[in-house]
Amino acid sequence: MHLDWSTLALQTVNVLVLLWLLRRYLFRPVAEMIAARRRAAEALLAEAAEKRRAAEAAAEEIARREQGLAAEAEQQRAAAEEGAAAERARLLAVAEADIARIRAEAASAIRRDRTGQRRTLEAEARDLAATIAARLLARVPGAAVSAAMLTSLAPVLAALPAEQRGALGGEIEVVSAAALSPTEQDACTALLGRVLSPPPVLRFRVDPRLLAGIELHGTHAVLRQSWRAELERLAHELRQEDEDVAPVLA
Amino acid sequence: MIASPLSATPLFHLGPATITAPVVTTWGIMLLLAGGSRLLTRRLTLRPSSGQAVLELLVDTIDGQIRDTMHDDPARYRVLIGTLFLFILAANWSSLLPGIEPPTAHLETDAALALIVFIAIPWFGIRTRGLRGYLATFAEPSLLMVPLNLVETITRTFSLLVRLFGNVMSGVFVIGVVLSLVGLLVPVPLMALELLTGAVQAYIFAVLAMVFISAAAAPQPARAQNETKDRTS
Repeated sequence: MHLDWSTLALQTVNVLVLLWLLRRYLFRPVAEMIAARRRAAEALLAEAAEKRRAAEAAAEEIARREQGLAAEAEQQRAAAEEGAAAERARLLAVAEADIARIRAEAASAIRRDRTGQRRTLEAEARDLAATIAARLLARVPGAAVSAAMLTSLAPVLAALPAEQRGALGGEIEVVSAAALSPTEQDACTALLGRVLSPPPVLRFRVDPRLLAGIELHGTHAVLRQSWRAELERLAHELRQEDEDVAPVLA
Repeated sequence: MIASPLSATPLFHLGPATITAPVVTTWGIMLLLAGGSRLLTRRLTLRPSSGQAVLELLVDTIDGQIRDTMHDDPARYRVLIGTLFLFILAANWSSLLPGIEPPTAHLETDAALALIVFIAIPWFGIRTRGLRGYLATFAEPSLLMVPLNLVETITRTFSLLVRLFGNVMSGVFVIGVVLSLVGLLVPVPLMALELLTGAVQAYIFAVLAMVFISAAAAPQPARAQNETKDRTS
């Protein structure tokens, strides 16, 4: 068995050179490319993972915002309900105030109407009473009525305080429903001359609206002793009674 | 008349050195492998072409074999193991070309390959374990094994040489004998079988080189555990 040492040496060198050549031109560049691809894939995976985390964070942010919006919507709805309740209470208060005002106005109108009707009725009643009194007086002699009035005038004058009697003054207009006869005028002059001092100067005038009786129109005072005056006093008293009762009705 | 397979045909002289046919064939194989690699790796991109994909598959397969056999990072052994495999495979398959005799059918080429493995074993062992650690491997499992381990270091390298040489040379010799006896087409099945034998022998040589180197440069237990965790993770 023969071994060619020079060939062995050359082949050893050849294999060593081939080791260097393949290391330079095959294994190193390919391994580096594989490593580069692995790094690129890892970078891509890392980027994908980062994007996934970002997407998850964005989704959480969106969910959190949705919750915030829901809570805000709930707050706004509660605020709107409170506002609506306040507005409803305000409108109710306004409506109640309007109702009270309208009721007050209606009550006032009713009172006014009632007062007007009552006055109308009073006027009609007064006219009716005057008519009835006139018809009744038509059946009674005027002289008798005048004499009765003159007779009733005496105690009235006597009951007046002195200063009121003095206010009648020195000149008095004697108004009667029917013309006084000279006798009656003399009686009247005598009566007044006894009660009043100094004796007044009398003027006589006829006013059928008095229905019956006599009125003394002095300088500063009037003494009414006639049926019309009585009727008016009665009507005034009735009106006073109605006004006292009206607040209770309202 | 068939020439002796144990002798190489001298072609010319280059100074004091005799250039034989296996050397020239080896140069051709080197030119083919290095030139092809240079052409294929000029424009490597992240989006590989078909050729680049084949290259990457080849390198990744070699890395996988190294990782499975040596249980270590393949980067340190990739060049040696990959070059041994590719050269032996190309040398074995060069017999398909008419008039070309595979360099591995000659003792000098196989001896050169075995010599490189023989040197690589302590090289990687010392780099990994240190000189004392590497020398301590000869005393495993006991000091009594030191002589046997020393002998084994030589004999296993010699077995590499003889195995490759015997298989390739016998195949070439048988094909030459058959071709000289029965004509042109009869050796074709034998040549196809020789293709398979050449690939298997290249694989066996690379795997045995990995086993021998791994035995000398086996990683420390803690390191091995860490790398196992890295691989599993």
